[in-house]
Amino acid sequence: MIYRKFGNTGEHISAIGLGGHHLGDVPTLDEAVQLVREAIDAGVNFFDNAWEYYNGKTETILGRALRDGRRDKVFLMTKVCTHGRSGKLAMQMLEESLRRFQTDHLDLWQIHGIVYDNDPELAYAKGGVLEAFDRAKKEGKVRFVGFTGHKDPAFHLKMLELGYPFDSVQMPLNPFDANFHSFETQVLPEVNRRGIAALGMKSMGGTAWGIKAGIVQPAEMLRYAMSLPVATTICGMDSLDVLHQNLQIVRSFQPMTSQEMDALRSRCATTAADGRFEPYKVSLRYDNPMTRMPHGFPVDRTQREVTEMFDKADGPWLSPETTPEISRR
Amino acid sequence: MADQRRQNGQARATPEIERRLFLQAGLASAGTVLAASVMSSPAASAPLPPRMTNTGADQIPRRPLGKTGEQVSIIGLGGYHLGTVQSRELAVRLVQEAVDAGITFFDNAWEYNDHRSEEWMGLGLQGRRDKVFLMSKVCTHGRDKAVAMKQLDESLKRLGTDHLDLWQIHEVIYENDPDLHFAPGGVIEALDEAKKQGKVRFVGFTGHKSPAIHLKMLARDYPFDTVQMPLNCFDATYRSFEQQVLPELGRRGIAALGMKSLGGDGQPILYGVVRAEEALRYAMSLPVATTICGIDSLDVLGQNVAIARGFKPMTSQEMQALREQCRPSSGDGHLELFKTTKKYDGRVGREQHGYPPPELLPL
Repeated sequence: MIYRKFGNTGEHISAIGLGGHHLGDVPTLDEAVQLVREAIDAGVNFFDNAWEYYNGKTETILGRALRDGRRDKVFLMTKVCTHGRSGKLAMQMLEESLRRFQTDHLDLWQIHGIVYDNDPELAYAKGGVLEAFDRAKKEGKVRFVGFTGHKDPAFHLKMLELGYPFDSVQMPLNPFDANFHSFETQVLPEVNRRGIAALGMKSMGGTAWGIKAGIVQPAEMLRYAMSLPVATTICGMDSLDVLHQNLQIVRSFQPMTSQEMDALRSRCATTAADGRFEPYKVSLRYDNPMTRMPHGFPVDRTQREVTEMFDKADGPWLSPETTPEISRR
Repeated sequence: MADQRRQNGQARATPEIERRLFLQAGLASAGTVLAASVMSSPAASAPLPPRMTNTGADQIPRRPLGKTGEQVSIIGLGGYHLGTVQSRELAVRLVQEAVDAGITFFDNAWEYNDHRSEEWMGLGLQGRRDKVFLMSKVCTHGRDKAVAMKQLDESLKRLGTDHLDLWQIHEVIYENDPDLHFAPGGVIEALDEAKKQGKVRFVGFTGHKSPAIHLKMLARDYPFDTVQMPLNCFDATYRSFEQQVLPELGRRGIAALGMKSLGGDGQPILYGVVRAEEALRYAMSLPVATTICGIDSLDVLGQNVAIARGFKPMTSQEMQALREQCRPSSGDGHLELFKTTKKYDGRVGREQHGYPPPELLPL
């Protein structure tokens, strides 16, 4: 396994990370636990998650897999899902995440989904989520903090300009992105200039529609993303096969030359130009239901989380820990 | 206001789940205030709308259409909604009553409702064609001139006429659309050809997504006669066509055609953020030639005609007050889903741009 610096923090993390969302796609709990444990045994130490994924199911799965001493072997991240709401709610979500993970602290806590134009202002508002960051750090419940988003480089830059000392910033990075509302060209240099750890995601373009269309191959997509100046590339893995393929790419990894990267970007340029292979930038597809609802956006049943939410009706949005404060508004 | 907005019943949930979802749906109020304070204020001294004629108390006023020498009614009948009414008979009656009430501007597009919109409008205009200014839109979505000319002939046939008064490029909403339209052999050449053949008198383009894309089209300096865009009291403070595109049209003497005055599907009215009448009056008070209205019943037609008759534009103070009233709920685009989601992006354009159909990517 390759390890890289996590910004200026002195920490090191594995060059690929295990994405939390896809844990919710693994058919059984046993298989998901095995996936996590094999990843750890292979040297993967960066674990991604979010409070809102699949009604909290993915945090619970990861917590189960990290039992028996494995928690201390990993760099554990999850994301807080206030989406413009209060710091007090953020602290309640943190307690819930810690309980699901069966741990007393996170290594990294990030604001999830800076995806709407007014999210930066809402995050920085008095009584907002950044006050929870300060408090959680002071109480020793989180070591480092950051933010994530898949929509628009301008929103990321706004978060950075407003000046909070983030340790990490997560963003989509792939050769389609390089050509279209590009995080790679607009945000990545700024993040590195500030000594902040860049966390790549959506190396396959999220839906992998560009791969299905035959424009690009999975291996070159992952190699491209890993060849950028990032601390890690978070990979969605929903089976042991995918884990093994990714591990193979990492074990034989040589960074692409700049010529190789240019050639790949050029190959993607035509289809990148209307955003067709980056649905997270141009549609609501990747905005989770709990991302949309506080902003008043409609949800839709093309998202599996939505069908689960209504079929099972047991999501965190119904849990007493995270509702009482909101009910008073 | 916020409480009413939370009555957003999009999800097909049980009432209990729905109630609890919306209990969570309030944004931090402190944040909303901050967001308002850091955003720049729209210019209070926007240009005035063109001078109206036909201003009698029981008449629908008209305004000049840019530099064309034509006059059009200050409200137009939208073709999309016409094709959604329950029967052909009702559609025909809507068109006839609209003409008889003094609406002269008629909107349509080759692709609306599997061509039903054009067919029904054509039926309604039998014997009334010469009383209206008839527009339709070409839907190449990046394809070539030949496709455009074929669509034009089909539109003319369905609309039962030998010429259009205005032919616009539909739905310029993808970032590479300007390049595709202006490519050699593209739709722009069809606009020239159709004018030369006398099949269309004036030309323009439309789009609901991004002011930047509209400005890219204008930067090519093609002599468009009209440009159509969403204009409403939410747009004014969010990715604003009013702020970015409308002044540029004024400079160029191009007629502005407003649409989506109620936010597309009237959500802001359902949520109680604004009333329908003030939203429509706001849009009509901007420097536009006409405001195209989705009209799907005789009731709605009657309401719109009543607002248009003897219309007096809002004062700039009234407009500024309404912008400020809307600002707290405009900042994330949830009341302008045509800008922020796939909801209003048509099937034909999606196909040409390699996007999934609405069933698979509704938003």
